[in-house]
Amino acid sequence: MLRASGLVKSYRAPSGEPIPVLRGVDLTVKDGELVAVVGHSGSGKSTLLSVLGLLEDADAGEITYENVCVSVRSRSAKSRARGRWVGFVFQSFLLLPSLTALENVVLAARYTGRDRTEARRRAQVLLDELGVLERKDHYPQELSGGEQQRIAFCRAVLNDPPLLLADEPTGNLDDANGAVIFDALRRRARAGAAVVVVSHRPEAAMGATAVYRLRGGVLEA
Amino acid sequence: MLRILRGYAFAIAGIAIGVAGLVTLGAMSERIVRFIEGGDRFVLGQISVAGRGMGMGAGFTAGGLLPAATIKKISAVSGVAGVQPQVMLPLDPSTSQFMTLTQELVLGLDLSVPMPNRYYRALPVRVGRYLRAGDRHRAVVGAAFAASHGLGVGSGLALEGATYEVVGILERMLTAPDRFVFVPIEDAREQWVAKDRLLRTLLASGAAALTAGDLNTGVAVGWRDGADPDAVARRIMAEVPDVNVQLPSELSRLLRASTAFFAALLVGIGVLALVIGGLSLANTMAAAIFERIRDFGVKQALGATDLDLAREVLGEALVVTVCGGAAGVGLAILLGSSIDVWAGRSGQQLFHFSTRLLGGAFAFSVLLGAAAAAWATLRVASLSPAEAIRRGA
Ligand SMILES: Nc1ncnc2c1ncn2[C@@H]1O[C@H](COP(=O)(O)OP(=O)(O)O)[C@@H](O)[C@H]1O
Ligand SMILES: [Mg+2]
Repeated sequence: MLRASGLVKSYRAPSGEPIPVLRGVDLTVKDGELVAVVGHSGSGKSTLLSVLGLLEDADAGEITYENVCVSVRSRSAKSRARGRWVGFVFQSFLLLPSLTALENVVLAARYTGRDRTEARRRAQVLLDELGVLERKDHYPQELSGGEQQRIAFCRAVLNDPPLLLADEPTGNLDDANGAVIFDALRRRARAGAAVVVVSHRPEAAMGATAVYRLRGGVLEA
Repeated sequence: MLRILRGYAFAIAGIAIGVAGLVTLGAMSERIVRFIEGGDRFVLGQISVAGRGMGMGAGFTAGGLLPAATIKKISAVSGVAGVQPQVMLPLDPSTSQFMTLTQELVLGLDLSVPMPNRYYRALPVRVGRYLRAGDRHRAVVGAAFAASHGLGVGSGLALEGATYEVVGILERMLTAPDRFVFVPIEDAREQWVAKDRLLRTLLASGAAALTAGDLNTGVAVGWRDGADPDAVARRIMAEVPDVNVQLPSELSRLLRASTAFFAALLVGIGVLALVIGGLSLANTMAAAIFERIRDFGVKQALGATDLDLAREVLGEALVVTVCGGAAGVGLAILLGSSIDVWAGRSGQQLFHFSTRLLGGAFAFSVLLGAAAAAWATLRVASLSPAEAIRRGA
């Protein structure tokens, strides 16, 4: 599903000095695989996930989804590629504060041209699976972190994306809620999705097809 | 829709305040513009002729008496279409010797001839009726005069010892006639004689062969269709001795010169209002969008293109500025009308909410709001989604 090769990325310090973060990352994730990436804070895990999900351009390297090269596309084509192929789970949930839980989930269908009624129906099924259906009309600020992340997970999988990218999905959760999210991610992989999880938690490696360590800007097995 | 309004409550309030400031300042300008334009229209609509060198009139007028024989000569000048004898007196000569646009005046009109003013064939009456030929001791008063003296139709008004019945009140014209009392010329002549000791002495002495018909302070002269008013005025000057003739164009120029300061002031106020109101509006709108920069990043992660977001933002900006603009206009009218209720007790009006002002302010705010939103969206679109998410965190 996902193939990345030779990814290079550096940021610029305020002084203009380049900060190299990725120095040539190669990664292949097949359908149904769950890949865990570990590494200490600041090693570039979030940057790698942003680049893999087309949220940020690499300085060099190539990314293909289902053998389609997406890294060379235009900005709007990248947007459409994300809508078609990728689901994101973020450490800080990133639910829209002005929308209810259900509306946040259904938002994932707005930009992919999916039927709204069908999306609402599926969203409720997902919320039920994650045990937060009774919270569907609540606003994010009325929900606990665990509840927010379950809702964010539903949003990420509403369109059934073949690629799921999770950046420290349990970083702001307690163990019980963290286990729920990891479990849900593993189930997505079993259902055929390619899943990449970045985390420093040992549970992330449980059930993972492969575990990589990001160090010095490259992935080590 | 309601959701949008709630999310943007602060922006709407901010825009409403900016627009309200713009509209109230604009309404004050409009009020003054009306005043100036009204005066201009009036003086451009007639040729005003006063007497000269008679040494009488005791300071009420710049000139002097305009006797009946002179009026007859004026009527005979070619191009003249109508001549209405008038007596203009200050209501209270002790307060001011100067005739200004804002002074309260008694204007006696010869009702047996129609008003010759091109732009004021009749003065618009709000309640009651206008004066008719044959009326005596009846008065029609301007709106500001009625308000400041607490007059209504049927009220009594004491002028020089006589009581006048108010039969009509004029529409507010936002110019000089608002402070006038209109009476039949016969009544005005009576008042003149009562006010003016010199004139009384002169009449009693019989030194001058004066009759009531000679007691005029001036005439309003109309011209035939197609005639050039300045040319007619020049002919009167040339053919009729002992008169002061005002060229309409010159009077208009004088009036404009005397109001030039105000005109400049108004332009200044207008520009300030536009800049301050506009800046606050644009700033509020852009801030409201930047505040949600993280939401845009998230939406892009979900597949939204820049065009999707631009469409959403413009739609919301439109709703927000339309609501903010409408609220601002409402607020301004509320504020202005409240102040005018208070000012109205002394016959003043400070604001004029013209449709061109309201429409203009509204269109201006919606356009500017949309422009600010478009600019903010472009700024957001220059960021990668990852950066948008980071910035908003
Ligand atoms: N926008 C940015 N500008 C400059 N430096 C950045 C930016 N984002 C991340 N970095 C730097 O890149 C490195 C990797 O960051 P990140 O990918 O967030 O690491 P991790 O997620 O592994 O903690 C860090 O040293 C961080 O300071
Ligand atoms: Mg990180």
